[in-house]
Amino acid sequence: MTEQSVDRGAIAAWRVSSALVGAFVLLVFAVVAFTSRLPVSLTVPVLLLLFAIVVVLTWWHPAATYRHLRYSIDEAGITIRAGIFWRTQSALARVRIQHTDVAQGPLQRHYGIATLKLYTAGSHYTKIELPGLAHETAIALRNELRQEGDGDAV
Amino acid sequence: MPSDAPSGEFTPQKRLHGLSWIFVAVDYIRHFIVPLIAAVVLGAQDDYALWGLVLVVPLVIGAVWQQWIYRYDFGPSGLVIHEGLFFRNVRNIDYGRIENVDTERNLLHRLFDVAQVRVETSSGGRSEAVIRVLGLPAVKEMRERIFSARDDVATADENHEPDVAETLLHLGLGELVRYGLIDNRGVIVVAALFGLLAQGGMYQAMEDWLAPLIEQLPFADFAAIGPLAQAFFILSTIAGLVAGTRLLSILIAFITLHDFRLTRNDEDLRVHHGLFTRLALTMRRPRIQVVHQKASLLHRLFKRVSLRVDLAGGMAASNGQNAQQGQTRKLWLAPVATPEKAGELIRIALPGVHLEGLDWQQLSPRAQWRLFRLLSGIWLVISAAPAIFFLGWWAPAIVLPVMPLLWLYARMYVKYTRWALHDDFFVFRRGWLTRRLSIAPRNRIQSVRVSESPFDRRYRMAGLGVDTAGASAGQIRIPFLDRDAARMLAHALYAPKFQRGAL
Repeated sequence: MTEQSVDRGAIAAWRVSSALVGAFVLLVFAVVAFTSRLPVSLTVPVLLLLFAIVVVLTWWHPAATYRHLRYSIDEAGITIRAGIFWRTQSALARVRIQHTDVAQGPLQRHYGIATLKLYTAGSHYTKIELPGLAHETAIALRNELRQEGDGDAV
Repeated sequence: MPSDAPSGEFTPQKRLHGLSWIFVAVDYIRHFIVPLIAAVVLGAQDDYALWGLVLVVPLVIGAVWQQWIYRYDFGPSGLVIHEGLFFRNVRNIDYGRIENVDTERNLLHRLFDVAQVRVETSSGGRSEAVIRVLGLPAVKEMRERIFSARDDVATADENHEPDVAETLLHLGLGELVRYGLIDNRGVIVVAALFGLLAQGGMYQAMEDWLAPLIEQLPFADFAAIGPLAQAFFILSTIAGLVAGTRLLSILIAFITLHDFRLTRNDEDLRVHHGLFTRLALTMRRPRIQVVHQKASLLHRLFKRVSLRVDLAGGMAASNGQNAQQGQTRKLWLAPVATPEKAGELIRIALPGVHLEGLDWQQLSPRAQWRLFRLLSGIWLVISAAPAIFFLGWWAPAIVLPVMPLLWLYARMYVKYTRWALHDDFFVFRRGWLTRRLSIAPRNRIQSVRVSESPFDRRYRMAGLGVDTAGASAGQIRIPFLDRDAARMLAHALYAPKFQRGAL
């Protein structure tokens, strides 16, 4: 059982999407602060703080997410490890997979990245996601996991 | 009568009971009107009453119309239902997929000898069909048609046993009293009543009405009767309140669980109970995911436990009215039973399960220390400020004596929290004062998740969550495991080599 990382390209995709969201938040705050005439002594520190948070989330967070995201496939099924501070390790047997999705947003499509979604008949973790895969890998993984699926569901 | 045409051309013929519209309308009205009545009564706004009337008429018309259109029948491969006011809908439910045909009968239903029927499949979430309402012979026919068809599809067993219901558990008067005393739902009802009154602006009324009463109380006499008599008076008042809520609890137990009967019918377990609203639930044994046993302090005082089951899909709904029903309808196997009886019922619900000779494993050796630190930390945060404010230098006298109790609790909690892994099933028990036991066959486990918070990592621990298809009532989650043990256990649980057909 060897553990694998997801595609490195995912970092770039995550960075761009965080940067877009961050820029939007900064812009909204700046506009609100400007129009409601908040004192500069308040606006500037908050803006700087927000900027620092955005930088951390766009630069450090995607790379750290990538470093901590691992998956492994064995004859039983798939195990996904994720989480920087709160770490989880989800294990799902092949026979328990109800159906699968390979999802791509516009940004992800540009970077050739996809998210593999595995659905179970469970009640708490009905969907287990593996983001940041190269699209071909996601397809290949799905096919591999589906090969002997179709077991008894419940 | 249905012809055996191909299912595409099959048109259902059977109609609902002639008085169905009453029940549909009542149901509509209950949803729309009860909040209105509450608003009228509590908010005293007369306009709403008029609006209520304006709404009722179209609702009744809609109900009659729905009854006119609704058709159901037993198709060659499944139950077929035509319905819909504006958008006509044809629904086919394969016999093989139908798990339950449950009925619910409140006083109104029983007055007219009808029942509300709920057709449940294993697909989870909402009921596949709620049929309001059928006459009792029609319900009987539906049960027979569906289950005979299902068995034909499923097994085609030649010497299939006829319907012989074997009663596994029947709660008599004494047991219901015990249940009422243990469950103590009266407190909740009283609390809810208080909440409702407070919402409705009744405080003002109480003030107007109670204040003069209180002023008339002979406080001077009360002060004069001496501390012993005062203590007696106060204690007897408290005792009276406790006894009152307990009596109410017993009453509620009588109403909801009257004539509780658990019967076995081949692969089905059936539960009937209720004085006014009579419930009949069917649990197919292959659909049982987890069995939970609970023994609170009171349970143990009366030497009883309670047993609940999680069914696949059934109650996992998170939207619409089924979510409410899911919360209110506990799937009892036994609301109250002796531990011996409970063991017997567990063996029936999950054949092959036994609790003897298991290799029980403890939590992490560091769990006790961690739990104590967690509890004492919470206690200090809560108590320190008020204690210092009210007591000043004497604060430690109140705060510190609790520490040994917390230590004891942590010690006992960890001592009584254990898990065991058998080839076929997984058992987890936890808690000291309230002891819970959960049993999940390994072939029902959907996925497992090991989670490590930053605190877990500091103690080299991890938590383990075990998910089944029916864990809406609470999944199995084991905290404070040794990290390596958690990972090994997770791997063992998810690997399907034990998913044999034994259970």
